[in-house]
Amino acid sequence: MSGPAGPGAAGELVVRVDRARCVGTGLCAGAAPGDFQLDADGKSRPRRDTTVPSDGLSDAAEFCPVEAITVVDAATGRRVAPLD
Amino acid sequence: MSVTPGQAVPGQPLVPLHCLRFAEPGPPRQAALPNGTPVWLVSRHRDARQVLTDPAFGRALLYAPDAPPLTSTPNLLDDPDSLLNQDGPDHQRLRRTVQRAFTPRAVARWRPWVASVVEQLVDDLVKSGPPADVVAGFSTPLPVAVISRLMALDGLDQDRMRHWSNLALSDSSHTPEEVAAALREFGAFAAQLIAERRREPGEDLVSSLLAAAEAEGSIPERQLVSLVCGLVVGGHETTMTSLGNALVYLLSEAPESWVRLGTDEEAAGAAVEQLLRAIPLGEPKELPGTVRRASVEVEVGGVTIPAGAVVAVQSQIANRDPEVYAEGQFGDLFAPLAAPSLTFGAGPHHCLGAWLARMEMQLALHRLADRLPGLRLAEPVADIDWRLGSITRSPQRLTVVW
Repeated sequence: MSGPAGPGAAGELVVRVDRARCVGTGLCAGAAPGDFQLDADGKSRPRRDTTVPSDGLSDAAEFCPVEAITVVDAATGRRVAPLD
Repeated sequence: MSVTPGQAVPGQPLVPLHCLRFAEPGPPRQAALPNGTPVWLVSRHRDARQVLTDPAFGRALLYAPDAPPLTSTPNLLDDPDSLLNQDGPDHQRLRRTVQRAFTPRAVARWRPWVASVVEQLVDDLVKSGPPADVVAGFSTPLPVAVISRLMALDGLDQDRMRHWSNLALSDSSHTPEEVAAALREFGAFAAQLIAERRREPGEDLVSSLLAAAEAEGSIPERQLVSLVCGLVVGGHETTMTSLGNALVYLLSEAPESWVRLGTDEEAAGAAVEQLLRAIPLGEPKELPGTVRRASVEVEVGGVTIPAGAVVAVQSQIANRDPEVYAEGQFGDLFAPLAAPSLTFGAGPHHCLGAWLARMEMQLALHRLADRLPGLRLAEPVADIDWRLGSITRSPQRLTVVW
């Protein structure tokens, strides 16, 4: 493995939650508990500045009932989920 | 005799749903259900959101062995195997089998087809009148056609579907035996549909949920049966109700808004959000709102709700909370909402079909108003024949002219 992964390192992802859209279903925190937490107001927020790809994270973005989640490549800004 | 706001006055004609008046929102307070079960009423927007999103409040607990009785006539919403009555991981596991079909982008793919159904219904309505019944010709067949296509319910007779749905959401006007019998029949239909789609999967929602459930591996069969029933009912009943009641309001009180709905599709989308916020689906009957049960002691709006308490979220009141909606019930029908209304709920049980319902209503109102900008009711509002017996209420018939 190379040195500590800084923002923009290969494969790193940034998770964004649109809190105006979020209705607090919590499906994201259930699918990817390491990447999402529900605040006291019941709305989701990313747990970390950057994260790594996982099935749970893709699921969270694909399943969000109000499409409040986007996952982008930290290096390129390209959207990696949701895709379909 | 005192009359609870929002409830019918015996011997007087029922008022349209948009004319129901409710108490002002206030802090959580204690009341009792008609059967004496104590209940906490939660009516402020902020408090209602808290109860709906906080995992400390659950649905499964309402049917635990120590739970107090809720209604005299249990219906589909009281089925412990329904999606609505699962909490936490059990709920997520079941919801994930259908969630993918209901995201905004999944629903958007149906838009051209739904628009073509709307156009066809408008064509037929125009040919048939005036006068015409906009419930039989438009607000019922549209959502029925949409859920029938999504689930590929080709063999299901519409009257049978409507009968089961009415009893599945029965208020206390049917006997528990009548409701139980209808739910048994409905469940047998769902079980048979599941067996058929397992044998011969197709490109429909039932086939896709069964594939997802199969991959998941541990979902009880009875939960799948209840889910299929829930999709049939939830897939058309509330959209039919909202559309019918929106038409009553628009055609009786808002002719200028009706014209604008027809000229501006985007404005129609904003209006749908306002209509869904301002016009309730029914009046409170045995249950004063959407119920939850506290698993632990929780503070809501400065009031301590004890563990085990039943809480009723009064979204019809929260949807008019002046703290959030300064304009009250109705303001500018085309203005964006200050905050999402609670009509589709919030939290884990936020309505699965919210985007589908929004799209159907937007296309329906826009295209009907575009073709018939002079549409109006043929009879006084006081003469409307209401569909009764269910926790939702909408016109049974609505005769219109143009």
